[in-house]
Amino acid sequence: MTRTRLCVLLAASALSSLARAQVPQAQQDLTAPPQGAGKQEKLQPALQGAPLPPQGPFAQAAGQSNPQGTVFQTPGMPNMGLRISSGMGQVTRFSNEFNPAFSFIVDAAAEAVDADSGQDGLDAGLRSFELTGNAWIDPYAWAYFVGVAEEEEIAVEEAAIHYIGLGQNHTLRAGRFFVDFGKQMQIHVHELRTLERPLVLRTYLGNELAGEGLQWDSWTTVGDSTAIRWSIGAFANALAEVEEDDLTSSTATIETLAPRRGDDFTYTARVTGFTDVGDRGIFQLGASARALPSFEFVTEDAGAVGTDLSNTVFGLDATFGWVGATSVDSWSVGAELLASTGENGAALTGADSTNPADYTVFDEDLFGWFGWVDYAWDRFNAVGFQYSQVELPDAAQSDVSEIEAYYTHLFSEFHRIRLVAALNDSDIDGETSRFVVQYTAVLGAHGHGVNW
Amino acid sequence: MRTALRSLLLGCLALVASAFAPAAEGERLKCVATIPDLADIVREVGGERVEVKSIAKGPENLHAMVIRPSHLVAVSNADALFQVGLSLEIAYVPALVEGARNKNVFPSAPGFVNCSIGWKAIQVPEVLTRQAGDVHPQGNPHLNLDPRGGAFLADRVLEALSKLRPASSDYFKTRHADFVARIDVARTRWDEIGAHFKGRKVVEYHQEYDYFLLHYGIERVGTVEIRPGIPPTPNHLAHLIDVMKREKCEVLLTAPWSKNNFVDRVAEATGAKVVVLPSSCGGVEDSETWIKMMDTVHDRLAKVFGTPIPPRQ
Repeated sequence: MTRTRLCVLLAASALSSLARAQVPQAQQDLTAPPQGAGKQEKLQPALQGAPLPPQGPFAQAAGQSNPQGTVFQTPGMPNMGLRISSGMGQVTRFSNEFNPAFSFIVDAAAEAVDADSGQDGLDAGLRSFELTGNAWIDPYAWAYFVGVAEEEEIAVEEAAIHYIGLGQNHTLRAGRFFVDFGKQMQIHVHELRTLERPLVLRTYLGNELAGEGLQWDSWTTVGDSTAIRWSIGAFANALAEVEEDDLTSSTATIETLAPRRGDDFTYTARVTGFTDVGDRGIFQLGASARALPSFEFVTEDAGAVGTDLSNTVFGLDATFGWVGATSVDSWSVGAELLASTGENGAALTGADSTNPADYTVFDEDLFGWFGWVDYAWDRFNAVGFQYSQVELPDAAQSDVSEIEAYYTHLFSEFHRIRLVAALNDSDIDGETSRFVVQYTAVLGAHGHGVNW
Repeated sequence: MRTALRSLLLGCLALVASAFAPAAEGERLKCVATIPDLADIVREVGGERVEVKSIAKGPENLHAMVIRPSHLVAVSNADALFQVGLSLEIAYVPALVEGARNKNVFPSAPGFVNCSIGWKAIQVPEVLTRQAGDVHPQGNPHLNLDPRGGAFLADRVLEALSKLRPASSDYFKTRHADFVARIDVARTRWDEIGAHFKGRKVVEYHQEYDYFLLHYGIERVGTVEIRPGIPPTPNHLAHLIDVMKREKCEVLLTAPWSKNNFVDRVAEATGAKVVVLPSSCGGVEDSETWIKMMDTVHDRLAKVFGTPIPPRQ
């Protein structure tokens, strides 16, 4: 062996030893057994009174070792790659310190359908993939967006700003967002207690009801244990999105229920109060309204089949929740009654589908309701039952009802599986039963709010 | 008529101004504490010059509190909100503060009191990933269960109250000194009890008691949760049972909220004794105050270990 080869081998050996010695602790721990069992953790001593040392990237600037390992730096060149370094000051235009909090939500379902109408079968698919971002703009405003990819389409489901600079308990919300109606229209489908929004909400308001406009809400206190909140909103465009699966032949025209002219706004209002009931109970009562003062029905074949129509949906909701002494088990029971007034729907009653005169617009007051009961016996398991019944906007005011039983198991706070058995009974389509397995996962930042 | 109208307007203005103004120096400070331990300590230091409400009652899982209307009302009217911090209350304090819209308790306001500032937390994750479970980025937040935690929290409470009511600073200092002196007396007894704990082995459901275990050199051989906030799998339970048998671990610590089927199954398989400890004041009997709670924790552990229990002071 030549002297040169020997030197190279020695140098390689030394570098290898050095590299092994510098493997960060975090990497070493990846192969360690679960910390839950089988290993006595070395707990670091807790010191009182001493200020916390800087963490993360700031640690290096403060003279501590970099937990990520050595940062490459060309001798004599400024280390522009560092976010912060001692003496360098402000070094980059591309800081990510103030980025919004992002999260992704995956919602998938597989279902088996048995229908009297003959539309049986198995299906599976990604229901939605959501990207959300939230951030404060300044001390008085924060904004968020929710983008959704559904069946090869990408849509902005919500993009809005909350302004709280009016003081006290007032909030102005502007942009595109779900309107404030009842307890369940404001939340996204994957956040629901069961697979879908109750049948009556889907029928009268749409699967999701996002509006582009402005909403003011405020709240006040009554005594020591009651809060009352109200909101009013005006939306230049509030589309009722109804999925094909929810439609019978007589209700298909609901999907065109939208204002068509710029001066025709959709208006919403809600007032709700909730109060403590004893040490463990909470009771909430609310009333909501969504008014379309002027809209028209439009069909693909005939164009406008009804103009200068109006429709208002009223809702009354009541919810009672009970949480066990250890906040592990809980019950909730609730119901919501809806009334749809004005022009509710249109159907082809003549022979010519291209002739607007062959369509009939229905103008009857319709009613529907849903009720549910949920029980969670621990943080990770819950069962529930929901019933919904609705009068359809057709000449016969046909009824449809839906019963759902569901079990939800959370693997952790961040993903869950849900089993749903549903029976839909329609005067028109007969019975349809479904068994669904739903999987939902949240990746990244997520937060909890006050649900009122 | 004009004079009467002016008086009426001025009266209304005064009423509105008084509604939005912070409490005057002579009034009792309206305080809200997230856990009963902090409520007790604020009461001890603040005396009759504060009125305190606690959000948690004691037996709850502190990570999963449910916001109630009365909580919203209390925070909206509060002069100060005392929280442990270290993300212990991450599930509800941000929503509560945002919903209550009370500038007195907004972050950075004097009334937004994070009582863990200055505490060096254990188990600060080196890498933030959900692979490690529902971890707290700043480390283990259960410092209220460290025998030194009461005095530490009292220091933070004293600082906050003195800042909010400078004129009462001496009053608060006197009460603080009295409280800390009583803790010192109690700690003499706790140290006497804890001296027998070194080297004992336990399993706990959730990593709530790690500060306590560390303080006395008690060895934790495992947790029932596979990771913080993640329920156990059958494999994990089987492994845990093996480890407990091999390590001759005969004590299983649980809080009131985590005394569940998993705990019972492990106890049955290993013959371990289950000890229910409070995770905050009021969680079990005889734990209404922080000193009483720590007395109870020490006594229950001494009883299960079969070590001496000197009489309380």
